[in-house]
Amino acid sequence: MIQIKDITKKFDGSVALDNVTLSIRKGSIYGLVGTNGSGKTTLLKHVTGVWKQDSGQILLEDEPIFDNEKAKSRIGYIPDDLFFFGSYTLADSARYYKGLYPFWNGARYAEMVKLFGLPEKQKIARFSKGMQKQAMFILVMSAMPEYLVLDEPIDGLDPIVRKHVWKYVVDDVAAREMTVLVSSHNLREMEGICDTIGILDHGKVIIERDLDELKSDIHKVQIAITDPAMRDYSELNVLHRETRGTVDLLIIRQPREEVETILNAKNPVLFDLLPLSLEEIFIYELGGEHDVESLLF
Amino acid sequence: MFQLDLKNRKSIYEQVIDSFKEEIVSGVLAPGEKLPSVRDLSKQLTINPNTVQKAYRELEREGYCYTVSGLGTFVSKPENVAADPEQIALLNAELVRIIRELRYQNVSPDEIRASVDSALTNRGERK
Repeated sequence: MIQIKDITKKFDGSVALDNVTLSIRKGSIYGLVGTNGSGKTTLLKHVTGVWKQDSGQILLEDEPIFDNEKAKSRIGYIPDDLFFFGSYTLADSARYYKGLYPFWNGARYAEMVKLFGLPEKQKIARFSKGMQKQAMFILVMSAMPEYLVLDEPIDGLDPIVRKHVWKYVVDDVAAREMTVLVSSHNLREMEGICDTIGILDHGKVIIERDLDELKSDIHKVQIAITDPAMRDYSELNVLHRETRGTVDLLIIRQPREEVETILNAKNPVLFDLLPLSLEEIFIYELGGEHDVESLLF
Repeated sequence: MFQLDLKNRKSIYEQVIDSFKEEIVSGVLAPGEKLPSVRDLSKQLTINPNTVQKAYRELEREGYCYTVSGLGTFVSKPENVAADPEQIALLNAELVRIIRELRYQNVSPDEIRASVDSALTNRGERK
């Protein structure tokens, strides 16, 4: 469990993180979504203990992370700006990681090198950007971290490699309850993999939701009722209403059964109930004051 | 194995539940057959294991499968599936809608009855 409590960070007067509070359950895959400059990378650099917050607390199983070597050895981190020692090959880097991380798994390292087909004896500095990302992923996953922090992990990876990457991640979550915190600027990409999503906007958390609950409770309804007296939806929790002729389009947050019972009683000539896509949910939940559409392209 | 559709409006959780129900109802998965482990299924579909776990729990709650600890999750016999009045009402409404549509396509009541009878008989044979 990672708890982030009231973190604030300023750089030269500008606020990068503004009272951020989040908690990441053990064994969960938490997606941190936000536009460029919303504070995702800054937050991850605090969670991994690279930077120190101005105020607030970050706890890994009740212990502060900053300057805590023991806590850090349990965290695997793939930053957006990768770092390798200039003259090191992949094999050299593996030796270095083995010294840092107590649960280094040599068998997995060998298996992953083979799967990704990376040259072990070549300097990593000479790898392409995508290959460097793969090299980093191999090193971090072979360290068998209990907590995995990924900053835009699949940027620059081809679809086949992406698939391999996610397979390793979900397998470790299933097999040994690894906890994952992953950032992305693309909400859709996070949909299949995350159980919880937090959206960051201008350094603030504007929404944090469990994805399965989010989806089951909110519906888009198309309904046509001939009797005008029956076109009253005050019994329902309507978030949004649009009328096109005799057809009303409603966005309703309420359990499905209740919506159906109430609306069927009105003898509709047309009644369609559709679940919302993740994008639509966020747009309606945020009520248009935030630029969610930019997360969705 | 079923495929997930990320563009589908249904959540992955619901898609997993519905796909298993469909396979169980249609007999693709026979009673007593073992469902893939949470770990295997999440890896295969590259989805969150917590979602798979939740879907299995829901299927179990509705009586479609049962878990033997240490061994895995298995398909229940059809008679163990708890009758869900809401689901039955929903399916009946769907049936009425389909029949209306068939009538609109000028399919005769006798032909519709024949289809219904044949569906019922096939179901009987499979048991």
